[in-house]
Amino acid sequence: MKKLCSLSDAVASIPSGSHVALSGFAITRCAMAFAREVIRQGIKKLTISQCVGAMDTDLLVGGGAVERLVYGGGTLDRFGRLACVNAGIENGSLSAEEYSSLSIAFRYLAGSLGIPFIPIRSLSGSSLLSRLQEQSQPHAAFINDPFTGDRWLVLKPLLPDVAVVQVQTCDEEGNAWIMGPKWDSPEQAKASSRTIVIAEHVVPTEMIRREPERCVIPNLLVSHVVELPFGAHPTSLYREYDYDADEIRRYVEAAKKPDSWKTYLDKYVYGVKDHWEYLELVGGLRHLRSIQADPILGY
Amino acid sequence: MDFTPSELMAVSGARELKDGQIVAVGIGLPMVASFLAKKSHAPNMIILFELGVIDPEPIHTGVGLADPRVWYRAKTHSSFVDILGTVLHRGRVDVGFLGGIEADPFGNLNTTMVGDPKGKFRHMVGSGGANDIASCAKKTIIIMRQEKRKFRQTISFVTSPGFVNGGDSRKKAGLQGGPSRVITDKAIYGFDPETKAMMLVSIHPGSTLRDVTSTLGFEPIVPPHVPFTEPPTSEQLRLIREVIDPERMYME
Repeated sequence: MKKLCSLSDAVASIPSGSHVALSGFAITRCAMAFAREVIRQGIKKLTISQCVGAMDTDLLVGGGAVERLVYGGGTLDRFGRLACVNAGIENGSLSAEEYSSLSIAFRYLAGSLGIPFIPIRSLSGSSLLSRLQEQSQPHAAFINDPFTGDRWLVLKPLLPDVAVVQVQTCDEEGNAWIMGPKWDSPEQAKASSRTIVIAEHVVPTEMIRREPERCVIPNLLVSHVVELPFGAHPTSLYREYDYDADEIRRYVEAAKKPDSWKTYLDKYVYGVKDHWEYLELVGGLRHLRSIQADPILGY
Repeated sequence: MDFTPSELMAVSGARELKDGQIVAVGIGLPMVASFLAKKSHAPNMIILFELGVIDPEPIHTGVGLADPRVWYRAKTHSSFVDILGTVLHRGRVDVGFLGGIEADPFGNLNTTMVGDPKGKFRHMVGSGGANDIASCAKKTIIIMRQEKRKFRQTISFVTSPGFVNGGDSRKKAGLQGGPSRVITDKAIYGFDPETKAMMLVSIHPGSTLRDVTSTLGFEPIVPPHVPFTEPPTSEQLRLIREVIDPERMYME
């Protein structure tokens, strides 16, 4: 089956109400073009999971696509808070299950291994845990180690319907390389029923075969492959392009008030037909060249 | 010699680090403290960032851990499961740095929300790797500015546990380690070995005991004799100002 497709076809494969794991971390390697297309297609009631909440999630929440968030907290680093996520939590419109980075990573890891639960040292003695235990069907519980009798906190696996992972390079089958730190992307892909890979470059499989040790996501996990330049814009993609500080600042300013936020969505999401029009809107080739990464520095 | 409170905080943090230690670090003052230690008395110390970075040597300052500037020249790029799992959770991290919006006398930290959790509140950052570091590191160092509204008898949310309710309650919660120092812009604190409540260790030069106690929302334990904190050396200041943070990105 042919996996290489357009962004809109890949997004259309996700029904409303799905659980989507997203690859962003704060302001880097975020599935931004994906988030914009999800909002344009009117997909709703998503559950989003992510170790550290990032700009892709914040945009999806601000675009009204998210019902529930499972995450370990997050920010836009120095640029500001996750304004849409925080507003949703504060006014009760977003149901948020809050953990720590490692507890989400372990829940994905348990999912990736097909095991029923995973013991963890984190969360004990915190309000994060007491909050999680207040839920009607808690995903955290205590058991006794059958070998030592010690008491352990255990977490249920996370099993997303689809992982959406932004990468630098893959082939048409979806064999994907991730350059730089990988945070939770490998476990997200392996825990999910299937993965959509969004790549800056799609290369011949022969290139993947020449350096098989670089492959982080093997093709057997992948349902769709999308080739999209600057798909993480305005966040960064290591060794490809830097974050676009001015555009992130524009986003943060807009997200402060409902009126300016609506204007932002109208311009950057609904005002463009697709990712290509978006790239023209933010300045086209001349501007995008200016944030291209230095090959030595990687940013 | 002239130095700012932030510079003294960074230097005090660096002094807590020993050569050969494995240290989990976040952005801001902890990063300055760690790089300062590494560039002076602890060249073999190993710096970790939670998202999967070991031993970077940045030449530019970054806006956060997500900024590729702070990953530059790392020896390893891996993952959360690798750093927070196989290094931190496995018990290999000697020191972790933590900060907070609120702290209580037992070193419990809140980075999640301010206000009333059941009523009107403002949601902030949450945990990230902070709860994991607070739970799994052999010890932690808390670095934050000292104000009455930040250091409170009771905090509205415990994101990262310190000594929980004091005494042996941290152990009873199944946790090892715990906070060893609280470094503020006024003073340095430790914790009483029995009660596990915050105890004054030294007062920064230029501050009085009254400055210290009047900017805390609770009474710390004050031993009969409290020395002044050792000021930074000119070499430490040079490293901070010229090498580690020339743009004053982390120092405020």
